[in-house]
Amino acid sequence: MVIITHQREKCIGCNYCVELAFQRWRMSKKDGKCTLIDGVEKKGFYTVRVQDDELEENQKAANACPVKIIRIKQI
Amino acid sequence: MAPAGSWEALQAALDNGADSIYFGVDQLNMRARATMNFTLEDLPEIASRCKRKGVKTYLTLNTIVYDHDLSIIKTVINKVKESQISAIIASDQAVISYANTIGVEVHISTQLNITNIETVKFYAHFSNVMVLSRELSLGQIKRICSEVEKEKIKGSSGDLVKIEVFGHGALCMAVSGKCYLSLHTQNASANRGACMQNCRRKYKVIDMEDGHELALDNEYIMSPKDLCTIDFLDELIETGISVLKIEGRGRAPEYVATVTRCYREAIDAYYEGNYTEKKINEWMNALDKIYNRGFWGGYYLGQELGEWTDTSGSKATQKKVYLGKGIHYFPKAKVGHFKIESQALTVGDKVLITGPTTGVIETEIASLQVDGQFVKSAGKEDECTFTLDQTIRKADKLYKLVAT
Repeated sequence: MVIITHQREKCIGCNYCVELAFQRWRMSKKDGKCTLIDGVEKKGFYTVRVQDDELEENQKAANACPVKIIRIKQI
Repeated sequence: MAPAGSWEALQAALDNGADSIYFGVDQLNMRARATMNFTLEDLPEIASRCKRKGVKTYLTLNTIVYDHDLSIIKTVINKVKESQISAIIASDQAVISYANTIGVEVHISTQLNITNIETVKFYAHFSNVMVLSRELSLGQIKRICSEVEKEKIKGSSGDLVKIEVFGHGALCMAVSGKCYLSLHTQNASANRGACMQNCRRKYKVIDMEDGHELALDNEYIMSPKDLCTIDFLDELIETGISVLKIEGRGRAPEYVATVTRCYREAIDAYYEGNYTEKKINEWMNALDKIYNRGFWGGYYLGQELGEWTDTSGSKATQKKVYLGKGIHYFPKAKVGHFKIESQALTVGDKVLITGPTTGVIETEIASLQVDGQFVKSAGKEDECTFTLDQTIRKADKLYKLVAT
C-alpha cells in the first residue's frame, strides 16, 4: 500500500501532478488548486491509501511538485 | 504605489501615505510562494478599508497562464469586479482580454517588458496604466512619456496613458523577471510566482576539461543590489511618469511603512520645492536600517552593467527582536499593556508594534511599569505597560529594534 498526502492550501496550481499521475490528481475549476482524488481532509492535509501500482507515477508527481507539498509513503 | 503582502503591510501602506496599494490572492501572482497572500474572500474588506482612505487597490494577476488556469482566472476577475477593486495588474493576453470584456480596468505589468512607444500604443487599446521595463534609462523613459503627450496616446478609458515605473526594492538579474534559473534547478517556475531565488547564492565556475575552479571577483555574480531612486527622485519625476511603484510584497510591514513614508515625503518635498540634500541623507539613513542588499540606481542612470551585491541576505543596519504580545489598550490614559514572552524590555529601547488592524507603530520607551510600579526593565513572563499615542490590539506583536 501507498499513502499519498497533499497539503492543498499551499498548491500553486502548476498542473505537474495532473500531467504525471492524471488518475489521482485533478485541477479544481473552483479555486485553481489541485485536488487529490478520493483524498480525505484532516487539518488541511488530504490523504489517500492506494495500491502499489500507483507508486511510480505519484512519486514522479511528488518529485516534480515545485512547492513540495506531496508526500508519498510506502507501507 | 505600495506593496501589501499582509493586513499589517496593507495598514502600514495606508498609514504612511500610499496613494494606491497592490496585492495578490493565492496562486497566479508573482509571489505565489509567499505565505502572506490574501484570499478571494478578503477582497471586499481590502476594497472598503482602502476606499475609506481614498486609496486605490490593484490585484496582481501577472503570471504565465495555462489552459488549466482559465477558469480560476475568470473567477478572480469576476470577484474583482464585484468587490470594486480598482484594477488588475496583468501580463497574459487571456487575462487582459477577459478583464476588458467584463469592464475591469487593466494595468500592464512589467512582465510584458514595455520598452518603446509603439508597444505603449498597442496596449493602449486595452489599458490606461502601463509599467515600463525595469531596464530602461531615464532618457528612454522621458522619451516615452513625452511621446504619449505629443501623440495624445489615449488608453481604453479615453484619458492619456499613464506611465508607471519601479522606484524602490529588489531587482532581478533576468530581464523583466523572465528567468529560467529556478525552474531549471528546482522545477519551481519564477514565472508562476514560485521563484527559489537561486540568483542570490554564491557560485563558482568550473572548467569541465581540466577541472579547474575559477575564482570570481564577486561571488554573488547574479545577485543585483536593490533599486533605490530616492537620491535622484527629482530626475525620475521629471521624466513625466505618473506612478512610482515600490517592490516588496514579500517584505515585513515595517519595511513597507518606512519605504512608503520616505518616498511619500520625498515626492511631497519635490513638489513643495524643498527636496534637499539634507533630507535625502535622512531618508537614505532610514532606508539603510531596513532589509536591503545594498543600493544602486538600477538601470535608470545608464550604468554599463548591474552592480552585484557582496553579501548574502540583508545589509540592514537594524533588526527586530521579538519580545511579546499586546493584551489591552487604555485609550483614556493612552497606555498599552503587553506581555513579555522572550528577552527583556528596557527604558530607552526603540520598539516596533505590528498587527493586522494596527499596521506598524514605532516608538521609544520613555517609562515602563510592571504591576503598577515604575521599573527600568521588564523580563520574560512580565506584564508591562507603557505610554502609547496609538491604539494597539490584543495579540499585536511587540519587537525591540536593535543595531546589527
